Amino acid sequence: MTLYLLQICLAGLAQGSLFALAALGLVVIFNASTVVNFAHGAMGMAATYVAYVLITSFQVPFALAFAGAIVAAFVLGVVVQKFLLGRLQGAPVLTQIVVTLGLFMFLEGILGLAFGYNPRPMAAPITMGPVTLGGLVLRPQDVVQLGVLLVLCVALAALFGATKVGLGMRAITENPYAARLMGIPVGRVLAMAWGIGVLLAAVAAMLAAPTTSITPNMMDTIVVYAFVAAILGGFGSLIGALIGGLVLGVVVNLIAAFLAPELAMSIVFGLLLLVLYVKPDGLFGRAMVQKV
Amino acid sequence: MLEAHHVTVRFGGLVAVSDLDLVVPDRGVFALVGPNGAGKTTLINALSRVCPVAEGTIRLDGTDILGLLPHQAVRAGIARSFQRAELFPTLTVLENLLVGLHAQMTTGLEGALMTPATRAEEKAARSRAERLLRELDLWELRNASPADLPYGHQKLLDVARALISEPKLLLLDEPFAGLTDAESPRLLACIAAAGKRCAVLMIEHHFELLEGIAERMTVMNFGRKIAEGTPAQVRADPEVVRCYLGTGRAKVAEAATC
Amino acid sequence: MSKNALVILLVVACALLPLVLQLLGQRQVYWLFVVSELFILAIVAVSLDLLMGRSGQISLGHSGFVALGAYSSAILNERFGVDLFVGALAGGSLAALASLVLGFPATRLRGHYLGIVTLGFGIAVDQIALKWDALTGGDQGIHLHKPVLLGLDVATPVRMYYVALVALVVVVLLVWRLTGTRVGRAFAAIKDSEVAAAAMGVPVARTKVLAFICSAFLAGIAGGIYAFLAGFVAPEDFGIDSSLLYFAMVIIGGMGSIPGAIGGAVVVDAVKNAAATVSGLSLAILGGMIVLVVLFFPGGLKALLRRHPAARTSVAERRSVAVAQDA
Repeated sequence: MTLYLLQICLAGLAQGSLFALAALGLVVIFNASTVVNFAHGAMGMAATYVAYVLITSFQVPFALAFAGAIVAAFVLGVVVQKFLLGRLQGAPVLTQIVVTLGLFMFLEGILGLAFGYNPRPMAAPITMGPVTLGGLVLRPQDVVQLGVLLVLCVALAALFGATKVGLGMRAITENPYAARLMGIPVGRVLAMAWGIGVLLAAVAAMLAAPTTSITPNMMDTIVVYAFVAAILGGFGSLIGALIGGLVLGVVVNLIAAFLAPELAMSIVFGLLLLVLYVKPDGLFGRAMVQKV
Repeated sequence: MLEAHHVTVRFGGLVAVSDLDLVVPDRGVFALVGPNGAGKTTLINALSRVCPVAEGTIRLDGTDILGLLPHQAVRAGIARSFQRAELFPTLTVLENLLVGLHAQMTTGLEGALMTPATRAEEKAARSRAERLLRELDLWELRNASPADLPYGHQKLLDVARALISEPKLLLLDEPFAGLTDAESPRLLACIAAAGKRCAVLMIEHHFELLEGIAERMTVMNFGRKIAEGTPAQVRADPEVVRCYLGTGRAKVAEAATC
Repeated sequence: MSKNALVILLVVACALLPLVLQLLGQRQVYWLFVVSELFILAIVAVSLDLLMGRSGQISLGHSGFVALGAYSSAILNERFGVDLFVGALAGGSLAALASLVLGFPATRLRGHYLGIVTLGFGIAVDQIALKWDALTGGDQGIHLHKPVLLGLDVATPVRMYYVALVALVVVVLLVWRLTGTRVGRAFAAIKDSEVAAAAMGVPVARTKVLAFICSAFLAGIAGGIYAFLAGFVAPEDFGIDSSLLYFAMVIIGGMGSIPGAIGGAVVVDAVKNAAATVSGLSLAILGGMIVLVVLFFPGGLKALLRRHPAARTSVAERRSVAVAQDA
């Protein structure tokens, strides 16, 4: 029984790494611009179509296509920030939610138009079969997902801790006005944050693609769980998003194994309500106070 | 009559108001002055129950008000205006005033059915609002959106909204801030008139304005009361002069030592 | 022409539509169904606008309330032969009750948290409807008996059309009246400035919940009537796609306005029906419209029709969308 449980946890961690990646992207964007990007999943999904086109129409090898996708994602993030959100600086929260939702609908619709809703396969270039380790079955796909998450977390830590850009992002989060006065190029930093955020969504999408196949709504489930993970983490804490995503992955897989897979999302939202009742700012969140 | 004793307000480690005593009689205009950050708005927030009080007692006409929630303050007779007007741009000028009567009206969802009781209540409320708007010469603008009004009119409307509930205590947070010299007299007249009907406690910086209208002043600095009395008395108080008014060039340097 | 005269003219025109269609001899059944469905969508739009536009709270899962209303009607009718009036009221009441579940998040959570929670609500209702097949028939759905309203047989397209039209008129009247009285003003007050509203005596938390209850009730009624109109409910009628559609109606029509909501419903329904055969097209068009509205036409349709003398000034709308606020 414990072996079965561990197996589920492992699968949960692997799936959770996708939630965590997407959630990290959401939090990076939110921290810099205070916008919740409801189009996050759709933007990641759009990047996978770029990879798909590169592979099928231009016979580009997978690794290069992957790179192409994440570059495209970065560019998309920058463009959306500069030409869309940038115009709405200072607008109320509702307005920003509306515009990212509109963008979400637009992207799903446009890609549905262009490619149809039939799933497009994306083969993972993994030729190795599953490995058995002490009774546990390790699928290479799972290992890769966790590995990529680890690498990107280290990269993010380095970015925010040590580079000028990362520090700039943190400064903007704390006090955008002062940041500007100190000479931090706020516009450029915001664009970077969006670029990185969407890039993370694209990585999650690319990792999910071999399993889900590429469709306009492939990221819908993942991004909903990413929102929940980000909220659990307090929507501001990167570590919170990471832990939230991994924990959520395990929880979802446990629910699917022992209760009902079709109700997983409903149960998760029920749990979220409970958590928020006790901690309205998430598990790691900071309260936001309004001054009169 | 408002009686506040030993009031202390804390935000985490920061003590915004410290051991403050304040007594405001039933009628008249009273001023609360002090440098920025002295705790004046915090005190007003405490009195209108927007922020929690760590220590002390506050009574209005003998009744303890510390147990009140923010939306219960107006029913107890405490109404206020805001530093940034905080009007309702979705509603018209007239409707803004009608919200000021929310606590005194009882129509609920049955308003959708326009029952006779609803109609009667609306009519009574609207005539009250009309009376006040005419008094303040704002009747012409009753259907405008507050966002379209000049700033002076917005501040006037903010005060009117608090006045319409006929409070016992009217708290005004820098009502003259941002007003031009042309706009001030109307508000001044309004406040002076209000002072004849109830107690007005007003935060204000302009000493000249206050000297004409306030009968007593309380001076705060760093959360504490440092002086109290008539404007003439307060002006002469050495502590106030040192911390707040200054004597020319020495003002800045000395203020730093307060 | 005064605003009221225009409205009366519109209602009369709608009332005469079946006659016109009969005279033209054009696919009467089809068009009556489409316009009846539009009336019901308009009720949902008005209900969502009451919540989002008027009270400033977000709901990304409104299809959940509509679904609860529809399924209540369907289940009660299929098992107990309940009529349209009772079914719709039961639907509205169940939806209103369910909105209490969202009540506490609404009062405690800020904008985007509430958005995500309401999204979850919509998804949950959809998933439960699919899974609980003993009650809801699962993906097979529920078929209703011929609709009856207070003893009157309303089983024909023409009669159901008038039922839908009357329902819309009644809902509009109720909401319009509400916004002109104390509760409606309180909704607007909590949207514009919670702290000032509280200072005026508005119990902010309770008022937010009340807004949810009213909005959910109306959406549930719409769902209840829809069940009888279509004669059939299934999970695919609801879910996140529907929620986004309702959302688009309110945004495109202009928030905080009943005519705006109805106008938005007309536009969205038109796009949805016209683009129905091309997958993705309506989503792309509506998404694009939302983005354009936010960027360039912040008042939506309502603001574009500002030339009408009875409409509000545009400055207030522009300010209410673009004004700087602390998050």
